[in-house]
This record gives sequence, C-alpha cells and structure tokens, in this order.
Amino acid sequence: MMMKKEKILAIKDLSISFQTSAGEVNAIRGVKLNLYKGETIAIVGESGSGKSVTMKAVMGILSSNGKVNSGTIDFTYHQGDEAVKVDILKLNKKQMRKSINGKRIAMIFQDPMTSLNPTMTIGAQIMEGMIWHYKTPREEAYKKAVNLLELVGITDAEKRMKNYPHQLSGGMRQRVVIAIALSCDPELLICDEPTTALDVTIQAKILELIKEIQEKTGISVIYITHDLGVVAKVADYVSVMYAGKIIEQGTVNDIFYDPRHPYTWGLLSAMPDIDTHDDKLYTIPGSPPNLLKKVEGDAFAPRNIFALNIDTREEPPMFKISDTHYAATWLLHEKAPKMDMPAELRTRIDRMLKEAEKDGK
Amino acid sequence: MENKKPLLTVKNLKQHFRISKKYTVKAVNGVDFEIYPGETYGLVGESGSGKSTIGRSLIRLYEPTGGEIIFNDVDISGRLSEADRKHLRTNMQMIFQDPMASLNPRKKVMDIIAQGLDIHHMYSSAEERKELVYKILERVGLSREHANRYPHQFSGGQRQRIGIARALIMNPKLIIADEAISALDVSIQAQVVNLMKDIQRETNTAILFIAHDLSMVKYISDRIGVLHLGYLVETGTTDEIFSNPVHPYTRSLLSAIPHPNPVVEKERKSMTYDYGTSGIDYAKGIQQHVEGTHYVLAAGDEIRSWTNNGKKY
Repeated sequence: MMMKKEKILAIKDLSISFQTSAGEVNAIRGVKLNLYKGETIAIVGESGSGKSVTMKAVMGILSSNGKVNSGTIDFTYHQGDEAVKVDILKLNKKQMRKSINGKRIAMIFQDPMTSLNPTMTIGAQIMEGMIWHYKTPREEAYKKAVNLLELVGITDAEKRMKNYPHQLSGGMRQRVVIAIALSCDPELLICDEPTTALDVTIQAKILELIKEIQEKTGISVIYITHDLGVVAKVADYVSVMYAGKIIEQGTVNDIFYDPRHPYTWGLLSAMPDIDTHDDKLYTIPGSPPNLLKKVEGDAFAPRNIFALNIDTREEPPMFKISDTHYAATWLLHEKAPKMDMPAELRTRIDRMLKEAEKDGK
Repeated sequence: MENKKPLLTVKNLKQHFRISKKYTVKAVNGVDFEIYPGETYGLVGESGSGKSTIGRSLIRLYEPTGGEIIFNDVDISGRLSEADRKHLRTNMQMIFQDPMASLNPRKKVMDIIAQGLDIHHMYSSAEERKELVYKILERVGLSREHANRYPHQFSGGQRQRIGIARALIMNPKLIIADEAISALDVSIQAQVVNLMKDIQRETNTAILFIAHDLSMVKYISDRIGVLHLGYLVETGTTDEIFSNPVHPYTRSLLSAIPHPNPVVEKERKSMTYDYGTSGIDYAKGIQQHVEGTHYVLAAGDEIRSWTNNGKKY
C-alpha cells in the first residue's frame, strides 16, 4: 500500500455571503475540499461560481463586505519537524500576515502587471518576503533570489535583479511573480488564472515550469481556471464549481473520461478542441443563477435539459461514484431514470480515450 | 473562392511607430493578404506580433507607414477624401476585446448602438432609429427592454453582444473582431461565436478574426495567417495550416495548445522556438509556395530543412 497521504488543507462546510446594496449574496454555499501534500487540484467553473472567493478565504483576503457564515479551513504546516494545524478562519488579520500569507501559503494572480510593484526592482521584491518573514540576512536573500530567478528560467539572473517590472515582457513578469511566491518556501501555492493574460506559447512554458518546481519541492498547488486544457495538463484532481457549490469532484481522468454531472457535460462540450468540426458549438443555455435569491432545489436545474422533477424541489446530495469520484445530481440516485451524456460528447470522449491508448503504447 | 474578387487586399502593409529619434518600433513589416466576401480570416500570433496593429491600420485608427490597402475597390491607405472616409467608416466595423472599456458607461444602449446611424444620418425619423436598434438587439439575442439600460447593468457576454450589435447596425461588409471573445468565459465564448457564425451566414459579412486562442480560431476561420514579429510567416486554409504546419514558429504555436485530454496532455511537452537563436532572418525571407494556397515565409533552402528534419506535428 502507499504511504498515508498527509492532508495539508481541509475545507469543511464553508459558507460565505457578501453584503451588497442589493441585499445579501450567498456566494459560497457549503464547500468541502481536501488537498494532500504534493498534489494538484484544479477548481473550474464559470465566473461568479465562487472559485476565487473560496481561495481568497483560504488566504484570508476576503473583501470587507464578505462574511463567513460557517465552516472551517484547516491548514497544516510544518515548523521544523513538527506539524502545526490551524483553522485559518480563527486567525485574525495580523496573525495571518505574520505566519501564513506569503510564508506558508503563496498566491499567484492573473495579471502580473498589477501584482508587481512598479517602483521596486524585481530583485528587491523577491528578497522582501524572505527578509520580512525569516529575517534572512541581505546577502543570503540576494543569493537565494538569484537562484530563484534561475529556477524560473530567467537568464542573466544577476543583471535582471536590477530591472523594474516594466522592462520585462508579460511572460517574464509572471515568472518573477512565481519566484516571489516561492521565495519563502511555501507549502501551498494558489494560482488564480495564472496564464489567462498570457499567450499560449508562454502559457505552456509557465505551466510546465510550475509542474517542474512541484516535482522538485513537493509543494501542493491549487489552480483556479476555466480553461479545461490547462486542467488536463496540470491537475491530479478536479473540482467543478457551480453557484457556490462543488457539484462534481474526482481525479482528472474521472472528470474528463467519465463525467456524470450535466453541468460538467456542458462545460466539456462547450470547449472546441482541435478536432471539432461540428457546425455549431454546444452552449449551456441560460445564465448562472442570481445568488441574491435563495436557491430552491438544484441551482443548475433551470439550465439543465436533463433536469428531473425533484431537481426543482430538493438540492441533490453528493453521490458517490467511486472512491475518488463524487457528483451532486439526482441522476445518480438509484431510482432516477437512466440518462446518458449527449452523443457528441460521448464520441469525443471515445476519441480521446483512443488517443490516450495510442499514446500509452 | 479563388475566382472571386477579394473584398480586401492588403499589399506590403507597413506600420512603424517612431518612439524617439533613434528608435522606431516596426510593428508590421510588409504584410500581404486578402479577404474574400463572406469568409472568416483568422490572424494569430503572440502578443507583440502586430496582429492588433494590422486591424487598427486597416480601419485607419493608425496612419499606415507604407503599403496599399484596397477595400471594396477603394484605396484606403493614403489620405482619405470625405467620401472615402464615409465609405470606410460605414462598411468596415470593429468589435473590441474588452466590452466594458469599449462601451461608453454614461450612454444608454440605445444611443451606443445608434451612434453610427446618428453620425451618418441613416434614418429619417426618431421612430425609424428606434426600430432599427430594436431589430438589431433582437438579432443578437437581447430584447428591446435592454435598450434603455446602461452598459454596467449587463454581464460580460451580453456586453459583447451589444458590441456586435453596434458593429452590425451599419450593415458592414467587413467586421474586424480584435480578440472579441478572449475576455469571456468558455460557455459564453461558444454563444458569441455561434452568434457571429449565424450572422455571417445571413449577411455574408466577412470577418477578420484576431485572436491568440488557436482552437477557437481553427473553429471559426476559413483561412489563417500566422503572424510573428510583424511578418506573416505562414498563410493558408485552416486545414493546410493545422494538418501540415511548416514554419517552426507555427509548429511551436500549435504544440502549445493544451488538449483537454489528461492522459495525452500530461506527457506532452510544448516545442520551443526562439527567433534570436534560430538563425532565421524574416527580412530575408520570401513567400514560398507549399501547396494549394499554403505559403511560408522562408529564405532559400530553409523550407526544405524544415519539412525534412522536423517530424510532423
């Protein structure tokens, strides 16, 4: 048997609402998520599904009108050889800044131009965290910063230390952001759409880079993205979010080759791949629900052509499909009529499986 | 397609920006291509390759430094006469990337969409103006009630529909879509792309589709031009480019597209292409014929070495 995996992050029953002028928005409605050491989880969903809010809660950087109604976020980190477990939601801002933010959980944001300080050299920005958190001597911090720049694939690292962000290209800037995130040896790295603002060629390089670093250092990574191609490339596990809830989770193979939730079917169908020749792209009808109103039944029901009667009355629980694969849809109930995924998606998955088989040989 | 007359012919288009006495950015360096009525031409390339610059030069947001642009039999590259300007501004329209930044937040949707009509006096009564806007709103999947709202009251996908409506109301012959769907969610992207395709089928409008998302470009385009550092390095039909990419830059671009197939994707490494160390000089290259309408920018024997030793993508 394999070694017992060490749980690094456990989110339980998280519920968050925002006070707005229009009323209370229930952005997160009971999220449960586990992440083990060295693994990568991807959270996918439309804008407004709550993926970023969940991760902001983990970082303790919710905007001021946000309120955590219930739940716990247990984070385990190591101090020396000792494992320390804290509930992030119980820490105050000062404690978060001192012992968690940047030091043990680091975050990479979407736009590298707005997350770097334009008035500081990139060298100073990489060293800043080490000096602040660990009181690293300047010289040592400088050496480590140069090493980090080399690690993220920037040539002439010593010279680059004196550059300002505007002197670098978009891809280089994002590399610098990654170097900063890694500077304090965090145990968890959260990437919020890390490559959305970048070109495909650079995107591929950045993703490969994060993967390499993960193999070297064994950190855990959470990706927030809506690009399923990115998910396929990097993730071990996938959680699909819709209207503030995780509606399907499983290994990346579970989700891509054996999706069960109609929303996941829709997401997978909507993305054209290189072999799509259909005349029309599949679209999920309608738009996401307004979370100002209380959700009755399954939040996805109004957009779901497979919706059952019960979907409008009662919210489906998480049904277990296998040890790793869960989905919240009444279609999985033993009494539900048998429903298959759309035929186009079926043929696409069959084609992918064939490709995968060929590739394996 | 070949025997038809092109709607837009671009010959040796150059667009340079003088930053200082010593330094000029050569954003576009002699680009030739044609767009036929009713087709979609995809322009792809990384940021800084000059794809948006080409779009902006075509619609004359910039003064082209050199070259010729012939649109609907009228040369629009030099100084424009009043009649030519009107011809250009009514028959060529643009859809921008960020629908929030490109819609005036202080105007109602009605006035945003009707602005082109107002400028060119294209209606006889206020009633007709209203009807035209209502018709176009319904065409893009919005309803007439939306006309009295402001842009901030819409979602991203709806805003982009307003941008499309604004372009369509002029009955343009050519629409330049500059990263028009890049800022949208995957499921919304599909809706907007379907809408653009439907409209194209109805009105026979040509579209210049500028994007960096290759899977979408492949889906929507009939022909593709691959742009790098201001040069068109490879042109051809979508099939020609995707089934037989020749130029190393095109290959690296194609290899970088992530496939939504985890088992295959986990093993795949993207190809690297570095212009600086590749030994290729775009300035020396000439357009060489590969097959059909497929051309590659290459100097001398380069094309043979690319097709021989590089394995097929």
